[in-house]
Amino acid sequence: MLHVENLTASIGGTQILNGLDLDIGPGEVHAIMGPNGSGKSTFAHALAGRDGYKIGGTVTLDGADLLELEPEARAAAGVFVGFQYPVEIPGVNNMYFLRTALNSVRRARGETEIGARDFLAVAQEAMDLVEMKQDFLHRAVNAGFSGGEKKRNEILQMAVMEPRLAVLDETDSGLDIDALRIVASGVNALRGPERSMIVITHYQRLLEYIKPDFVHVLVDGRIVESGDHTLALHLEDHGYADFVNHDLDDAPERPLSGAAK
Amino acid sequence: MTATATAGDLEMVAGLEYPTRRDDAWRYAPHDVLGQLSFGPATASTGRLPPVLVASIPQLVGPRIVLINGVVDNALSDFDDVPAGLRLLSFDDARRDQPELLAQHFDTDGDLSVDAFTALNVAFGRNGAVVHVAGGHDIAAPIQIVDIALPDETGSASCSGVVIHLDDGASATVVETRLGDGDFGGLNIRTTVTLGDQASLDHIVLQDVASTQVHLGRIGATQGAGSELRAHVFNLGARYGRLGYDVSLAGEGALVDLTGLYFGMDNQVLDQQVTVVHAAPDCTSRQSFRGILDDESTGVFNGGIDVRPGAGGTDAEQSNENLLLSDRADANTQPRLEILADEVACKHGATVGQLDDDALYYLRTRGISEAEARRLLIGGFADQAVDTVENDILRTWITERLRRHDA
Repeated sequence: MLHVENLTASIGGTQILNGLDLDIGPGEVHAIMGPNGSGKSTFAHALAGRDGYKIGGTVTLDGADLLELEPEARAAAGVFVGFQYPVEIPGVNNMYFLRTALNSVRRARGETEIGARDFLAVAQEAMDLVEMKQDFLHRAVNAGFSGGEKKRNEILQMAVMEPRLAVLDETDSGLDIDALRIVASGVNALRGPERSMIVITHYQRLLEYIKPDFVHVLVDGRIVESGDHTLALHLEDHGYADFVNHDLDDAPERPLSGAAK
Repeated sequence: MTATATAGDLEMVAGLEYPTRRDDAWRYAPHDVLGQLSFGPATASTGRLPPVLVASIPQLVGPRIVLINGVVDNALSDFDDVPAGLRLLSFDDARRDQPELLAQHFDTDGDLSVDAFTALNVAFGRNGAVVHVAGGHDIAAPIQIVDIALPDETGSASCSGVVIHLDDGASATVVETRLGDGDFGGLNIRTTVTLGDQASLDHIVLQDVASTQVHLGRIGATQGAGSELRAHVFNLGARYGRLGYDVSLAGEGALVDLTGLYFGMDNQVLDQQVTVVHAAPDCTSRQSFRGILDDESTGVFNGGIDVRPGAGGTDAEQSNENLLLSDRADANTQPRLEILADEVACKHGATVGQLDDDALYYLRTRGISEAEARRLLIGGFADQAVDTVENDILRTWITERLRRHDA
């Protein structure tokens, strides 16, 4: 469904992604783990279509070339990125924002728009999912939200937008254990056979709640190791040392072995 | 005090020159445009009022007084539903019935020397509207005062006045709307607000004269002990739109909360001149002004906090935030603080910025087009001022007026 081939990204002459390859099938959840500065967030922004990067390679979603689309067209194509640092937008009502977003992608897809009353039901269902109170909708987008509220708002948006591909960038960062549980159960509820997910995280902790089908290790802008969820456990025990400051040839042939119990 | 300018007034005017760029309070005004203005005694307009102008008056239900070129228009005014405790008068009626209400407005011992346009208003602004609320009365319906500039063949800008007088413990909402049509002229309006002890006024000013005209507005408020003034000023129209708001907190424990929004396009100059004087102890003041400036427009915020000796316990804050939508637009902000008392809390801050790229990107990743995302962000910035207005009809009026910038 998502095909990424030899993806490169640089900003201001600094190369960040160095030929990233990744294939994701329908309904699969892939975790991408890596040390700070390995290019995890840049990968998310490259998928979302942020300005300012020089991008090379190929990214297709259901065969369609994503890289030539504006961010809003990618959203219409079914891409949703939950950001590590959601932006505060004072003065813009959260409910109005959500409805504008949903109706924008519906319009782009040739679907009918949803009226205010029907939208309330959609929003209510999404709010239940992330255990948000009603007043959440009447506040300005992320303005004055706690870290946990911001992340819950990202998952709320994801539930409303119903994307084909959800990319969650460090959704666990800054969350206490309760917020982490809420966010993770929201994500799990949104898993489905037609929805693929990329869960980007620094720590294995999140993957105890959201069990991935595949785990990839991103170092220096490329995927250096792939495996199942036990790879995450190995990283928990051993850190990224096996993969950093080594030539790939020096990496242990069976990094999973360390995690074998 | 008479219905026509006195020889003394005219003499005073004759001796005054128009302000220049060297005057701090007039530094950014388009002096070439001001130089073309002429003033004279109010004359009833003979021209037909364009229907679109009538339609642009906010459709509030309640008492209303409409002045065209400074002369009361009885057909458009509504004196029928005036509730108990409220008097709504023309200046002429007030001269006959309650001349004491006009005394302060025409008190030339005051600070009229500050500029020629004020002196011209005193000389020629012999007509206007008076709102008087008797002690203890709470007037629920908004009271509308509409001033329309419809220049006649003399090309004069019209001078008129507004007097708002709330006796002790009275409360009311007064909406001043300034509209205009034509290729020249404009409005020169002075408003005198007097709040008795514990009185409470919501004061909304909507300035939207034609983009070819000039609006010179000056509001002076004096507040008694424990009184509350909440003002919401929207400076939107005019080639040069000037809105002065001077407040004297004269009684202990008074509160003033001034919110302002200016939204300029083309070559508009929108100029806010604000001064709050803390003359009594334990008063609170807030000034929150927001500017949105597109094209080659200029915004000015010149805001003063003046804490007089003895005004201990003062709590004063001022903020001015500007959003530039074009690299040719210009925002000028100047705080003036003079603090001559102890035990004073005083804060001020100003910002000038552009639309937040991160916010634009964030909205676009949610499927919202770039144009719509810009509209949302601009609207969100403006709404933080618009939302301070409680009345739904007025909020809608302002929001729809702001949307004209999208076209």
